[in-house]
Amino acid sequence: MATKVAAHYISEKVSNVRWLPEQLQQTERFVTGSWDMDNNYVRLWRLHANPYAQEVQHTPRCNDKVAMDGDVTGLEFVNEDTLAVSCADGHLSLLKVHRAVEEDQLERMERSERLHEFKCSQKSAPCTAIDIYGNDIATVGEDGCVNVLSAHNLKQVKRTIDADSISLLSVCFVNQHQLVTGNRMGVIRMLDVRVDSTGQQDISFAAASQDPKNSNFVSAMATHPMQQHILICGSEEGSITVWDLRNFEYPASYLSAHNSPITDIGYHRQDPSKLFSAAEAGEVWMWSEKKQLIDMSKNDGNSAWLSGNRVRSLVNVDGVLTDIRNPVNSFDVHGSRLICGSDKEVIYIADDIF
Amino acid sequence: MSEEAVPIFEISDSLATRCGNTLTATFVPGSTKIALSVYRPIKWSSRDTPSDTAGEDPVVISIAQESTLYKEPLLRSLLSETNGTFVTLQTLVQEAKGTKKSAEYLQISRAYRSIIRFCLEKLDHGKKTPEVQEDEWRLEHCTKATKTFYAIECMWHLFEILYLQQQQTSQVIVHHLLEWVRFHYPNTEDQATDLLLMAEEASECDSYWLTLRRLIMLGQLEVPRAILLQNRKFNQAAFQAAEQVLKTMPVYQDGYALHKFNSQWEYWHVDLDRKLAAQTFAAEPQLELIMQLVAGSNKHWDAELVNSQDWYEFLPGYLLYTKPTCKPFELRIATTHWLNRWSVLRPEWQMKQLSRMVLQLMQHDIKLFIYDAQKLNDSHWFSTHLIDLIYHTGQFKSYFDQQNVDLAALRHSMVFEYGSFLMASRNHWQLAIDYLDFCSHEGAAAIELLLPRIPLRSERQAFKVLELAKQRGLVTVEQDICKVLSKRAHSDQRYGSALEWAIRSKDVLLVTSLADFILKNYSHTGVIFSPDVLRSIGPRMFISPRLVFLCKYFEFYELYRQRDFVSAAEPLINLLASKITPAYFWPSLLIDAMPLLNSEEPKLFINETLAILQHLEMELVPLIERNKLNTAKFDNQTSKTIFKDYRVENVEEFVELMRLSCARNMVRATIIENRGPPT
Repeated sequence: MATKVAAHYISEKVSNVRWLPEQLQQTERFVTGSWDMDNNYVRLWRLHANPYAQEVQHTPRCNDKVAMDGDVTGLEFVNEDTLAVSCADGHLSLLKVHRAVEEDQLERMERSERLHEFKCSQKSAPCTAIDIYGNDIATVGEDGCVNVLSAHNLKQVKRTIDADSISLLSVCFVNQHQLVTGNRMGVIRMLDVRVDSTGQQDISFAAASQDPKNSNFVSAMATHPMQQHILICGSEEGSITVWDLRNFEYPASYLSAHNSPITDIGYHRQDPSKLFSAAEAGEVWMWSEKKQLIDMSKNDGNSAWLSGNRVRSLVNVDGVLTDIRNPVNSFDVHGSRLICGSDKEVIYIADDIF
Repeated sequence: MSEEAVPIFEISDSLATRCGNTLTATFVPGSTKIALSVYRPIKWSSRDTPSDTAGEDPVVISIAQESTLYKEPLLRSLLSETNGTFVTLQTLVQEAKGTKKSAEYLQISRAYRSIIRFCLEKLDHGKKTPEVQEDEWRLEHCTKATKTFYAIECMWHLFEILYLQQQQTSQVIVHHLLEWVRFHYPNTEDQATDLLLMAEEASECDSYWLTLRRLIMLGQLEVPRAILLQNRKFNQAAFQAAEQVLKTMPVYQDGYALHKFNSQWEYWHVDLDRKLAAQTFAAEPQLELIMQLVAGSNKHWDAELVNSQDWYEFLPGYLLYTKPTCKPFELRIATTHWLNRWSVLRPEWQMKQLSRMVLQLMQHDIKLFIYDAQKLNDSHWFSTHLIDLIYHTGQFKSYFDQQNVDLAALRHSMVFEYGSFLMASRNHWQLAIDYLDFCSHEGAAAIELLLPRIPLRSERQAFKVLELAKQRGLVTVEQDICKVLSKRAHSDQRYGSALEWAIRSKDVLLVTSLADFILKNYSHTGVIFSPDVLRSIGPRMFISPRLVFLCKYFEFYELYRQRDFVSAAEPLINLLASKITPAYFWPSLLIDAMPLLNSEEPKLFINETLAILQHLEMELVPLIERNKLNTAKFDNQTSKTIFKDYRVENVEEFVELMRLSCARNMVRATIIENRGPPT
């Protein structure tokens, strides 16, 4: 089926967008977070069938919004109706979604203490990314700290690790106890949430780069939903580095992809053979493994992503959105529907992407 | 939009009354703004001295917030959406160099209009929400915006019909004009719908005939016919005849031969005149009046016109009944006649801005129209986009040449001003860039000036600005931003971050000064800042020799700290021989050699010991000597302040100790090395 893309202007620069989790059906609701506005909001939207135009099937309508005290920098669902939101003022909030027949509601449940601050000036440091594992929420900030909190109690921080002396831009849980962080120099560190800053083993590796004399920050990371030892990193120069976390010596694969910094990267939640990447220049690409080429009988847990130079021949690249000329900050896929938000105050909804 | 209301400004301030209570105003250069000040204007160039009344009264400082229409969230989307269309137009022009693509231009024009219409719809919808209803400021703003953009849409539509569309289809414009009027005067149609729904009872309604007349004058035939069909007396002869006339009226369609149509229409018109003369409709005076209107009888039209809302409301309708094949160039004459008639009928009527601009369009007075368009309260949104479109279509080239208007320059300055305006209003900077991109050198220069001035509140935003600079190859902008961030991090004692930003800025001096800072701090305190950053700098260190030294020293330091002295010896000797050691670091470096020389197990060979001794005598001792000379000249300096290390009190003493250690180690090493089998 041909992909249909509809653009909706919502008068807010979108920093994050997420579909509401829905078990058995195509979800009709999503949340967006804004940044660089006079007042920033997390908004809850719902798709309504569009009775007028033939080409555009749905139009989104804002059902509820919650004001935030700074740019929204991370948006992640803890469970079906609890949403964790990180902000540039260094705080983490939990929002609750009340689904209803007519108007859904969004409500702030809890707000953490200030998690990130610059030690000298005592000013708040922007929280830059969050990730969720079960009920644990990990936040990283420009102060180089990692905080792990439980979604049941935001008032108490379970663990604070002084991971880095420069700002961290991305975080990703590898398993229940370990997480990886990416910093502005392109160094990825593996941290154990069970031990404090002083007891951390120093496991670090640098993202590959075309020109090692230039800095190449790691802006987005994701692990394979089934094989969690596969770590995918998107970087400033637009390349994708794949690591096999069982072997830190060298990257498993290195792919030069976009021509601009990668802003978001992630696997399809239900179908891990598909990976999506979004870039600053306004591109969203879909990477799908070619099933027929991978011999399942000989395949002992090795993924196409770990096959070094051969990745290009085992994986197909399709542009879902290309040439939209404005930075795509975040995307999310549910079923065959992709949504992404950009700086020109547009959200794009692409139907039937595969 | 009336020009007669003179705005009144007032600043009430008790302090100002002491100074004669004067209000001064100056025009802000390069814009349409006025700066008001109580007493006298203070600018960046004014001298900062206490005034006569200093300290007597409390000073009230009020900061004026600049308000634009686009503060309203509903209008923000208009800006970003039109930005998309603007860019599409620019790329379209670039792709199709030389070839004329009037169909595409028409598409673009329609896209702009649909954006305005959608926005009007949103505003209308938004005004009804409780959020806006409770906020007086927003409500007022929405109402203002609706008025402005309604007018803009009206004019843009007319412009499209008269100057863009006619290229596409035939020259006959009456039916397009009818459509235009119909959209902008929807009231009559609403009433007609009511009448249709009332069916037979409609004729008892007070406004029945009035509405019918209005419909006819708006040039609509189908709806009046449908309403008349429902009339109880429809079976009567007069009604039947009227129906016959309305049904048979020839309507021009594209591709029809013009002379054939004209003869048909003439025949129909003569037939109608004859029927009127024969008193066919006399039984129904109201119906007869309608038929007189259809026949274009001036007397009857004049009677109706007295009640119309604006001069152009019924002009297209009148043209339909009197000159159905009117062409754009004939419209000018028709308009002039019509307006003369109108001003006789309504002498007291004042021409508003919208009406005047419509007139300018119909009279082909584009120059004045553009002049007036710039006076609209929309921050030049309309004039910029329209002029840009006009420029690209290339249709008015000869006209503007005649008028002595340099269209390219005009378009250039409009786009430039609009882009600068967007840049100045917080958080529109990403849109502004697109406009400035398309006005040649000045735009590029403006981008270069304005990009580093965007207030950065987070690194995320900084990276976005850096990316924009990178795409345009603005290296200095990139460097400036990185330098600012480096300074910011440094003053916040985040030295690792400062160093990383400095490396990104590629400014050798800045990197060197930061490396110096870290080295000096180490020799004073023994603490190395942000070891994790130093560990992962890698090939990036080659930007500055000082940074190379720092990183290499750090390598040694780590081995040294792990008590791996044998491996540590090599980097130390390399550092000593490297010739990039900064003068102030010599003591620290040689002090580091001391434990290696004095260790129980000898760690250094003869040659290496010799090298150390050589550096001690050739580098450190002359330094101390030179410093002594300086100290003699300026007695506020002592050797301590220059050569400071946390491990050594007095440098002279240390030099002596060092010489002894070298001698001792040399003796040990000579014995050990000479003990081996002779080679």
